[in-house]
Amino acid sequence: MSVHEVTLRRRDGGEHSLRVAADETILVAAERDGVSLPFGCRYGACGTCTGRLLDGRLAHAEPPRALKDRHLDAGYVLLCVAEPRSDCRIEVGASVQADLVSNPWK
Amino acid sequence: MSDTESSADAHEHHHDHHEGPGYATPAEMRTESTREKTAFVMAPRVGMDVDGPDFVGVVDVDPDSPTYSELVDTVEMPNRGDELHHFGWNACSSSCHAEGLARDHLVVPGQRSSRIHVLDAEDPRDPTIEKVIEPEAVFEYDLSAPHTVHCVPEGKVIISMLGNADGELPGGFLQLDQTDFSIDGRWEADRGEMEMNYDYWYQPRHGVMVSSEWAAPETYYPGFDLADVESGKYGDSIHIWDWESREHVQTLEFGEAGRIPLEVRMSHNPEETQGYVGAALTSNVIRFYEDADGVWDWDVVIDEEARDHPDWEMPVPPLITDLLLSLDDQYLFFSNWLHGDVRMYDVSDSANPRLVDRVWAGGNFGDRQTVGGKDVRGAPQMLQLSRDGRRLYWTTSLFSSWDDQFYPELGEEGSLMLKADVYPEEGRMELDEEFVVDFGEAPGGPARAHEIRWPGGDCTSDVWQ
Repeated sequence: MSVHEVTLRRRDGGEHSLRVAADETILVAAERDGVSLPFGCRYGACGTCTGRLLDGRLAHAEPPRALKDRHLDAGYVLLCVAEPRSDCRIEVGASVQADLVSNPWK
Repeated sequence: MSDTESSADAHEHHHDHHEGPGYATPAEMRTESTREKTAFVMAPRVGMDVDGPDFVGVVDVDPDSPTYSELVDTVEMPNRGDELHHFGWNACSSSCHAEGLARDHLVVPGQRSSRIHVLDAEDPRDPTIEKVIEPEAVFEYDLSAPHTVHCVPEGKVIISMLGNADGELPGGFLQLDQTDFSIDGRWEADRGEMEMNYDYWYQPRHGVMVSSEWAAPETYYPGFDLADVESGKYGDSIHIWDWESREHVQTLEFGEAGRIPLEVRMSHNPEETQGYVGAALTSNVIRFYEDADGVWDWDVVIDEEARDHPDWEMPVPPLITDLLLSLDDQYLFFSNWLHGDVRMYDVSDSANPRLVDRVWAGGNFGDRQTVGGKDVRGAPQMLQLSRDGRRLYWTTSLFSSWDDQFYPELGEEGSLMLKADVYPEEGRMELDEEFVVDFGEAPGGPARAHEIRWPGGDCTSDVWQ
């Protein structure tokens, strides 16, 4: 099983690198390393764990139901169901989820 | 004596005619219980950059206590990511003739995790986790996203479930056994055309249950997208169920008049066959009632207007997110989460509500943006009224992802719990500037305070046979 280097980057500039096997999710690998990421349902429905892929390739092991086509096109990924397919750099943290939907009346 | 706070101050069970939990009538609960001394408050941290789980908080609401208006205990959940939201009792006045049963456990679901916690809440200042039902056990019934918890007669607890095991439609109802909190299975025998679910209320004397609609979890979980309303992914109906046969019998479709009908509150008087539902997006209050021929009908009885805001492109709807009825069914209170006010209506003439007062705190339109020296983050949202109808409390967060869209500061600094004094004889209320509980200062990091309940029961928990 191949293992990839995944770099998590927070918007305040903090970075953390993880070794993630191709059959495990970014969230599970981060938890194993003691890195706290936001999450909710853990099956791809809620979007709390949303990150943005800056570089590399990921595959969703379950349908990413919380993301619409426009989000997938813009590189948003669900870290609770995303497995690495190459070395990756991912933007993480609670504020990434807030990008998904804006205030519709403003 | 078995109910929480009963020996100390709530005076439940002192009558010879009933032995179980709760009160024989709504009037007994209103007049013979004593003032609330502590509150249980849901406090989620999901979707925040706080490395901690959600907790159930205990807030001191006894003005004679040295820790008045402080968060005096926090019970952290064993996992992160739950999004504690609504919760309920193992037993209430609906079982008030059930000998040996006590109101001593809280059923605390995680909206996002689908995990269900059972807390021993016999000591109102020191609740403890007794049991955890893991999400996998819930998914086995092809259900997810637990919401409203009511205890019901015959020793059961029923939870409205908003989605299937994939977070899609349809939802349903999960039934637990009161004795050991094991899952019995699904409550409903035939859900008919019901697909979306949210809140529910029931009137056992009339054999009826009424449920409302939000959306599929996969739709509302990530945030509020107006395009989802336009494509019909949000609810506009309520459902009438036969309480005995557990079958869906009628759909009341509101359409444009009632987009996103959320909280359902029926009269506490068990003789009544009517109630109110707040349509959040349309910002109407709709009254539903049983006709003489046994068919249910509805009317819009309060119709609020969107308002122009100088910094917003489109008129802003008030967004009615919670409503409740006083135990004597005289006053209806509801929150306008986007505008920033709580309204009080006299509903003695149930089909013709009369606005008697409103209080502003926070929000996008109110002049009052600080209370007790604190900036108000968010706006009035989940409400709870004292049993005697003289104190209205509320919290200011709605739902983690929706907070991020409308009041992003809640996700960074947490939310508040506030209070107004209510004068029912005069039909008015006044903000209590001395009472502010800042969940931004919670031990272990900020949290978003959500639903509030009193030990001993309240006007959104108890139902009478």
